[in-house]
Amino acid sequence: MKLLPHWVSRPALVALLAALVVGAVLPKVLGLSVYSQNQVTETFLFVAAALAWNWMGGYLGQVSFGHSAMFGLGGFISARLLLALHLPFWLAWIVGGLVAAAYALVWGHPTLRLRGPYFSIATIGVGEATRLVMTYWEDLTGGSSGLSLPITPGLKSELYWWALALMALVIAASYSLRKSTFGLGLLAIKSDVDAAADVGISPTLMQDIVLLLSGFTVGVCGAFYASYQNFIEPGDMFGFDRSISFVLMAVIGGVGTIIGPALGAVVFVMLRQYLIGSYPQLYLGIYGLLLIVVILFEPLGMMGLFFRIARRFGLMRPEVEATLEAKAAVGGGAADPGARQGGAP
Amino acid sequence: MQRFTELVVAAVLLAGLYATMAYGLGLIYGVLRVVNLNHGGIIMAGAYIGWLLHEKFGIDPYLSIPVVVAVSFVLGIAIYRGLVRHLPRGPAGAVQSLLLLFGVWLVLRNAAYLLFTGNDQTIRTEYSTRSLAAFGLAVSVNRVAVFGIAVLTLVVLHLFLTRTFTGKAIRAVAQNADSCTLVGVDVERIYSLTFGIGTALAGLAGLLGASLFSFNPSYGSGDLLKSFVIVVLGGLGSVMGTAVAALILALVEVFAILALPAYLTGAVGFVLLVLVLVLRPGGLFGQRVLG
Repeated sequence: MKLLPHWVSRPALVALLAALVVGAVLPKVLGLSVYSQNQVTETFLFVAAALAWNWMGGYLGQVSFGHSAMFGLGGFISARLLLALHLPFWLAWIVGGLVAAAYALVWGHPTLRLRGPYFSIATIGVGEATRLVMTYWEDLTGGSSGLSLPITPGLKSELYWWALALMALVIAASYSLRKSTFGLGLLAIKSDVDAAADVGISPTLMQDIVLLLSGFTVGVCGAFYASYQNFIEPGDMFGFDRSISFVLMAVIGGVGTIIGPALGAVVFVMLRQYLIGSYPQLYLGIYGLLLIVVILFEPLGMMGLFFRIARRFGLMRPEVEATLEAKAAVGGGAADPGARQGGAP
Repeated sequence: MQRFTELVVAAVLLAGLYATMAYGLGLIYGVLRVVNLNHGGIIMAGAYIGWLLHEKFGIDPYLSIPVVVAVSFVLGIAIYRGLVRHLPRGPAGAVQSLLLLFGVWLVLRNAAYLLFTGNDQTIRTEYSTRSLAAFGLAVSVNRVAVFGIAVLTLVVLHLFLTRTFTGKAIRAVAQNADSCTLVGVDVERIYSLTFGIGTALAGLAGLLGASLFSFNPSYGSGDLLKSFVIVVLGGLGSVMGTAVAALILALVEVFAILALPAYLTGAVGFVLLVLVLVLRPGGLFGQRVLG
């Protein structure tokens, strides 16, 4: 037990390992069709992306509507590397992720001093400006005709295990970001930036670190998506709908929790598949309705529903539930949403 | 010099429209501390209502102003009473209301796609292409009309907020809602009235915008960001601040055409937004309460 930090609980570790083993042998045992296996790969990918978004939106309480910028950048950088240098794809993903993280820091370092709605709206500007520039930067993105990657046989089934590994890493990272001392610092920043700074936490540094991690991970997810899809175009990769999808996954599942965004991503991918098949005209509006219903009735999404059921059947001690809900609560408790860090505006 | 004057005139005329839509967003934020992310949705709705009245009944867009204003006013009150009111006040509710109103916007956009398809539409009247000539400059009639209506609206709004009892109550609630309750102001009623006025301004701006530009169900998302730039730049609630900020944005946008390739001019507003938020989050003139 000494090998592990004190905040790693044994049940959590066992659960994660068990889930990994199940995930690894599942396609073999069930003999999943290629189609369903691809669906599962995509689900794994978006679980990772939703959790990475949640580090910003849930742990820090800084809701970003601009994460498509990093998703797209990671995708196109790695696609270019794969096409030009024929790197092994995992190396291309990492480089794509690093570039995305650097870009996140460039716009995020100044804007993260804003809190709440101010930050959110700045990210809309960042996302849209990035999309516009990228759509016309044909040397990188191929313009509106996009980029095609070479198709290698067997790649998609290999990517299944890569996606599983990626998701496992991101879940472990989410867990450690939540439970470690660093994670407690994030919680303090989310509750009250000024008070956190007063007790010796550096909000600027910590927010930058979270942004780097989140940007890197979302960039890697974008790069993975590029390899997986074989074809990417800027309108889809950098689109506002892409940014919204991360927000929706986390909000539907439960912002600020770990299981929540993961569940949300599963529901989102399934729902989208169904809606695009059956009601292609309606899916945007249905997401909107879902968002309204969740925020209005259960701001913690599916996790909130779960807490409610657990309470009804007396499965959860009230103090445990209170801590969980306080950690997960949507938005921070900062004194003035417009206030900048470290003092009066 | 001729070109310079033309661009300045174009910017001033555009600024009227910008100020109208930004004032709606600023009013709601100033009084309720809620960022109306659905602002773009209402702008789009205003444009489509005007278009519908023109296409189906042949009503001139300028004559349909009362209808559009009334419909978006009622729509705003419905959104406030039905949705926004149920969220917690203060910082905790700020992000929640942002997400909620974003959901409303998605629904409105989808409704517009279903009703009117995603095609670009324009409101075309017989005077659409006519222009006025003065001092050697040719200016589109429509742009002058839009500017005139916008200025008139802002003046009326300013008088309403400073001279009437209800207007003073709105400003008082913006300063301190609790004290207002103590002296017998129905704060809840003021909140829904303010939300209604804010969305009515958005609807009006949408209609005015639709007589100048083409639009589709995504119309309004750029305007939301522009409104936000202006609100942040101009400070809250001051009509003069809003007007100056709107003029600055319009000038930057119009002159960007000279310096940047055409496809990048759309990004200017977004870059300005981020710069303004980072450099002057308190506005050019400091944070002010309404009036």
